[in-house]
Amino acid sequence: GSPSDFLKQVVGEHVVVRLNSGVDYRGVLSCLDGYMNIALEQTEEYVNGVLTNSYGDAFVRGNN
Amino acid sequence: MKLYRRNEQRRANWQELKPALEATRRGLPPPARSSRLSLFAMAVEPFDLIKVSLSERVFVKLRGDRELRGILHAYDGHMNMVLSEVEETIYVVDVDEQTGESVVRTVKRNCDMLFVRGDGVVLVAPPAR
Repeated sequence: GSPSDFLKQVVGEHVVVRLNSGVDYRGVLSCLDGYMNIALEQTEEYVNGVLTNSYGDAFVRGNN
Repeated sequence: MKLYRRNEQRRANWQELKPALEATRRGLPPPARSSRLSLFAMAVEPFDLIKVSLSERVFVKLRGDRELRGILHAYDGHMNMVLSEVEETIYVVDVDEQTGESVVRTVKRNCDMLFVRGDGVVLVAPPAR
Protein backbone atom coordinates (compact mmCIF):
# COMPACT_ATOMS: atom_id res chain seq x y z
CA GLY A 1 0.00 0.00 0.00
CA SER A 2 1.00 3.63 -0.27
CA PRO A 3 1.93 4.25 3.42
CA SER A 4 4.51 1.44 3.33
CA ASP A 5 5.88 2.81 0.05
CA PHE A 6 6.29 6.18 1.75
CA LEU A 7 8.16 4.56 4.64
CA LYS A 8 10.50 2.79 2.25
CA GLN A 9 11.25 6.10 0.52
CA VAL A 10 11.94 7.93 3.74
CA VAL A 11 14.62 5.57 5.08
CA GLY A 12 17.92 7.45 5.29
CA GLU A 13 16.30 10.86 5.58
CA HIS A 14 15.91 13.28 8.45
CA VAL A 15 12.55 12.62 10.05
CA VAL A 16 10.39 13.60 13.00
CA VAL A 17 8.79 10.69 14.83
CA ARG A 18 5.79 11.77 16.90
CA LEU A 19 4.75 9.38 19.63
CA ASN A 20 1.24 9.00 21.03
CA SER A 21 2.52 10.70 24.19
CA GLY A 22 3.28 13.86 22.19
CA VAL A 23 7.07 13.53 22.43
CA ASP A 24 8.98 14.16 19.19
CA TYR A 25 12.17 12.46 18.13
CA ARG A 26 14.16 14.10 15.34
CA GLY A 27 16.91 12.17 13.61
CA VAL A 28 18.03 10.19 10.59
CA LEU A 29 15.83 7.15 10.00
CA SER A 30 18.07 4.09 9.85
CA CYS A 31 15.41 1.45 9.48
CA LEU A 32 11.99 0.35 10.56
CA ASP A 33 9.90 -2.81 10.51
CA GLY A 34 6.31 -3.86 10.01
CA TYR A 35 5.37 -3.02 13.61
CA MET A 36 6.80 0.49 13.13
CA ASN A 37 9.63 -0.18 15.54
CA ILE A 38 12.11 2.50 14.50
CA ALA A 39 15.88 2.88 14.59
CA LEU A 40 17.18 6.46 14.48
CA GLU A 41 20.65 8.05 14.36
CA GLN A 42 21.62 11.44 15.84
CA THR A 43 18.37 11.57 17.73
CA GLU A 44 17.03 14.62 19.56
CA GLU A 45 14.07 14.40 21.90
CA TYR A 46 11.63 17.32 22.01
CA VAL A 47 8.92 17.61 24.67
CA ASN A 48 6.43 20.45 24.03
CA GLY A 49 8.82 21.75 21.40
CA VAL A 50 11.70 21.96 23.88
CA LEU A 51 14.87 19.90 23.32
CA THR A 52 15.20 17.63 26.33
CA ASN A 53 17.66 14.91 25.33
CA SER A 54 20.07 13.76 22.67
CA TYR A 55 20.90 10.19 21.80
CA GLY A 56 23.52 9.01 19.32
CA ASP A 57 21.39 6.04 18.37
CA ALA A 58 17.88 5.17 19.48
CA PHE A 59 15.35 2.39 19.10
CA VAL A 60 11.70 3.36 19.46
CA ARG A 61 9.06 0.70 20.08
CA GLY A 62 6.37 0.69 17.44
CA ASN A 63 3.28 0.67 19.66
CA ASN A 64 4.13 4.17 20.90
CA MET B 1 30.04 -9.56 6.88
CA LYS B 2 26.83 -11.16 5.61
CA LEU B 3 24.72 -8.50 7.31
CA TYR B 4 26.77 -5.73 5.70
CA ARG B 5 26.35 -7.23 2.25
CA ARG B 6 22.59 -7.42 2.71
CA ASN B 7 22.57 -3.75 3.59
CA GLU B 8 24.66 -2.95 0.50
CA GLN B 9 22.17 -4.89 -1.61
CA ARG B 10 19.30 -2.87 -0.20
CA ARG B 11 21.13 0.36 -0.93
CA ALA B 12 21.80 -0.85 -4.49
CA ASN B 13 18.10 -1.63 -4.95
CA TRP B 14 17.24 1.81 -3.67
CA GLN B 15 19.71 3.40 -6.10
CA GLU B 16 17.96 1.63 -8.97
CA LEU B 17 14.58 2.91 -7.85
CA LYS B 18 15.91 6.42 -7.31
CA PRO B 19 15.23 7.85 -10.79
CA ALA B 20 11.62 6.70 -10.62
CA LEU B 21 11.21 8.13 -7.14
CA GLU B 22 12.80 11.44 -8.18
CA ALA B 23 10.37 11.70 -11.06
CA THR B 24 7.43 11.41 -8.72
CA ARG B 25 8.92 13.80 -6.16
CA ARG B 26 9.42 16.59 -8.70
CA GLY B 27 11.91 18.97 -7.35
CA LEU B 28 12.24 17.87 -3.74
CA PRO B 29 15.87 17.85 -2.55
CA PRO B 30 17.60 14.46 -2.90
CA PRO B 31 17.71 12.46 0.32
CA ALA B 32 20.85 12.90 2.42
CA ARG B 33 22.50 9.61 3.22
CA SER B 34 24.40 9.47 6.45
CA SER B 35 28.01 8.58 5.74
CA ARG B 36 28.94 8.41 9.42
CA LEU B 37 29.74 4.86 10.40
CA SER B 38 27.86 4.04 13.56
CA LEU B 39 26.32 0.96 15.10
CA PHE B 40 23.54 1.49 12.62
CA ALA B 41 25.67 1.14 9.49
CA MET B 42 25.22 -2.59 9.95
CA ALA B 43 21.58 -2.47 11.06
CA VAL B 44 19.13 -3.99 8.64
CA GLU B 45 16.22 -3.91 11.02
CA PRO B 46 15.65 -2.06 14.29
CA PHE B 47 16.18 -5.14 16.48
CA ASP B 48 19.75 -5.38 15.22
CA LEU B 49 20.56 -2.30 17.30
CA ILE B 50 19.34 -4.10 20.38
CA LYS B 51 21.36 -7.18 19.47
CA VAL B 52 24.50 -5.08 19.14
CA SER B 53 23.87 -3.65 22.63
CA LEU B 54 23.79 -7.03 24.42
CA SER B 55 26.13 -7.10 27.43
CA GLU B 56 26.48 -3.34 27.07
CA ARG B 57 25.09 -0.55 29.20
CA VAL B 58 21.81 0.74 27.82
CA PHE B 59 19.43 3.56 28.59
CA VAL B 60 15.75 2.59 28.52
CA LYS B 61 12.85 5.02 28.58
CA LEU B 62 9.64 3.55 29.99
CA ARG B 63 6.02 4.67 30.14
CA GLY B 64 5.06 6.50 33.30
CA ASP B 65 8.02 8.91 33.25
CA ARG B 66 10.59 6.32 34.20
CA GLU B 67 14.08 5.62 32.97
CA LEU B 68 16.44 2.71 33.46
CA ARG B 69 20.19 2.46 33.10
CA GLY B 70 21.71 -0.99 33.24
CA ILE B 71 23.49 -3.80 31.43
CA LEU B 72 21.33 -5.57 28.87
CA HIS B 73 21.51 -9.33 29.16
CA ALA B 74 18.50 -10.49 27.16
CA TYR B 75 15.58 -9.28 25.10
CA ASP B 76 12.83 -10.67 22.90
CA GLY B 77 10.43 -9.56 20.19
CA HIS B 78 8.06 -8.02 22.75
CA MET B 79 10.94 -5.93 24.12
CA ASN B 80 10.82 -7.86 27.38
CA MET B 81 14.34 -7.37 28.76
CA VAL B 82 16.62 -8.64 31.46
CA LEU B 83 18.95 -6.01 32.89
CA SER B 84 21.54 -6.12 35.66
CA GLU B 85 23.12 -3.40 37.85
CA VAL B 86 20.10 -1.26 37.16
CA GLU B 87 19.41 2.26 38.31
CA GLU B 88 15.78 3.33 37.86
CA THR B 89 14.90 7.02 37.79
CA ILE B 90 11.27 8.00 38.40
CA TYR B 91 10.18 11.57 37.64
CA VAL B 92 7.49 12.63 40.10
CA VAL B 93 5.45 15.82 39.78
CA ASP B 94 4.43 17.32 43.11
CA VAL B 95 1.69 19.92 42.93
CA ASP B 96 1.38 22.28 45.84
CA GLU B 97 -2.31 22.40 46.84
CA GLN B 98 -2.23 26.02 47.95
CA THR B 99 0.03 27.71 45.41
CA GLY B 100 -0.74 25.36 42.51
CA GLU B 101 2.99 25.25 41.84
CA SER B 102 4.26 21.98 40.33
CA VAL B 103 7.72 20.70 41.10
CA VAL B 104 9.45 17.79 39.41
CA ARG B 105 11.63 15.63 41.58
CA THR B 106 13.41 12.36 40.91
CA VAL B 107 13.25 9.11 42.86
CA LYS B 108 16.02 6.60 42.27
CA ARG B 109 16.02 2.87 42.88
CA ASN B 110 18.64 0.21 42.31
CA CYS B 111 18.31 -3.46 41.35
CA ASP B 112 20.91 -6.14 40.86
CA MET B 113 18.80 -8.02 38.35
CA LEU B 114 15.59 -6.83 36.73
CA PHE B 115 13.01 -8.19 34.30
CA VAL B 116 11.27 -5.50 32.28
CA ARG B 117 7.94 -6.23 30.58
CA GLY B 118 8.08 -5.12 26.99
CA ASP B 119 4.81 -3.23 26.73
CA GLY B 120 6.16 -0.51 29.00
CA VAL B 121 9.20 0.21 26.87
CA VAL B 122 9.27 3.41 24.83
CA LEU B 123 12.89 3.85 23.78
CA VAL B 124 16.22 2.03 24.06
CA ALA B 125 19.56 3.76 23.47
CA PRO B 126 23.24 3.50 24.43
CA PRO B 127 23.77 5.58 27.58
CA ALA B 128 26.79 7.58 26.36
CA ARG B 129 25.25 10.97 25.60
